[in-house]
Amino acid sequence: MASEEESAVKEPLDLIRLSLDERIYVKLRSDRELRGKLHAYDQHLNMILGDVEEIITTVEIDDETYEEIVRTTRRTVPFLFVRGDGVILVSPPLRTA
Amino acid sequence: MSGGGGEKGLTTTKTPADFLKSIRGRPVVVKLNSGVDYRGILACLDGYMNIAMEQTEEYVNGQLKNKYGDAFIRGNNVLYISTSKRTLAEGA
Repeated sequence: MASEEESAVKEPLDLIRLSLDERIYVKLRSDRELRGKLHAYDQHLNMILGDVEEIITTVEIDDETYEEIVRTTRRTVPFLFVRGDGVILVSPPLRTA
Repeated sequence: MSGGGGEKGLTTTKTPADFLKSIRGRPVVVKLNSGVDYRGILACLDGYMNIAMEQTEEYVNGQLKNKYGDAFIRGNNVLYISTSKRTLAEGA
């Protein structure tokens, strides 16, 4: 299979590199989301983010009415190290938000 | 060595790696371990099943929840990658 030049094909991580120094949206496990500026990342998707807003979403079910109460908790953090194993998805910020 | 003509669905792919090479640029459905579905056009992927997609739509419990222009999904979350005949932009 030496005839094909696969090195020219980009990996998904190469495309994340295009987002360096840009604001990004990160979806994490445990119903958490981050929006911040991407300063650094690695192959594990460990990331350094600056000026970050974290949104934690919880859903409570009322015992009597069985109504779902969706709550979001927000906090801002100036500088954050994110461990890669918690990352689900990375994207440029949602335009609709 | 026999290879598929224009029909990628009938290609005699020998290994999963061959399948991954053949589906770039196609509309796909990516299901995560958490049950969330992402439909979009596969830009590229690697051996860890890390995925880069364009025009991505996120479906939770069958309902469209979000749209992303570009999305990178970490491979450990991926349950499967499936090709889809439907395209997002064109209604066939």
